[in-house]
Amino acid sequence: MSTPNIPPVDAELALAEVQSRREQVVGDNVLPAWFWSGLGGLMLVFVAAVESQEPWAVAAGSTVYAVGLATLIVALVRRTRVRIRPALLGARGGVAIAGFTLCLVGVGLAVAFTVQALGVPWPATIGCVPVAVAMAVGGPRLMAYLRRLMLSRPLAESAGRS
Amino acid sequence: MSTEPRFDELIHAPTRLSIVSLLAATEWAEFKYLRDRLGMSDSALSKQLTTLEEVGYVDIRKTFVAKRPRTSVRLTAHGRRAFAGHVAALQEITRGFRVG
Repeated sequence: MSTPNIPPVDAELALAEVQSRREQVVGDNVLPAWFWSGLGGLMLVFVAAVESQEPWAVAAGSTVYAVGLATLIVALVRRTRVRIRPALLGARGGVAIAGFTLCLVGVGLAVAFTVQALGVPWPATIGCVPVAVAMAVGGPRLMAYLRRLMLSRPLAESAGRS
Repeated sequence: MSTEPRFDELIHAPTRLSIVSLLAATEWAEFKYLRDRLGMSDSALSKQLTTLEEVGYVDIRKTFVAKRPRTSVRLTAHGRRAFAGHVAALQEITRGFRVG
């Protein structure tokens, strides 16, 4: 099929429109900063409650965690009106997410075991503090990286694989 | 594998280019999302989606979530190929322009 006589400037504008719509979709899909801070905070409350070994604190902490997590997820699902194509994220995106998760787990365990070895009370809670902070600070940064990654993909790539 | 450039008159129409570009970055999108993002009325968007559906570029699904009707739209494999070909054609036009 021959290409019609489209002025190059019109083709440029059309490609800019394609890119800008992709930016819109990607921007609407990244996890918001409040989600990361909320998740980190809830995790900290839960771990502290369990570590206290006080039945009332365990019950209260578990309830706060369950209700808080459900609220976060419902809020997230309610604002999700579009699902991004995994192909945009690609293997590099998957590796970044897995790496971030492993770092959080590694830091949490390292701090907790070190603190425990030193005989400091509340090791799990103390180990959880840097994890919660890293989630609140690193989560949005991970999202910014993934956003850049998804926008850097070739324009036709999002359509090339079915 | 590179995509063969294939200019698509149907996709190139400004409104449909916007719709297909949004859908190309998604697995699916809600009708309301498309409407809000494109700033279109329900009827205008429906008309464009019907045109795209008739040529097999999009798939429109109506479901009920918590007793509320929800319409979602996705680009079919055929639609994705057409979009990829169209983007390749646009890139070819601009490449010629830059070289020339």
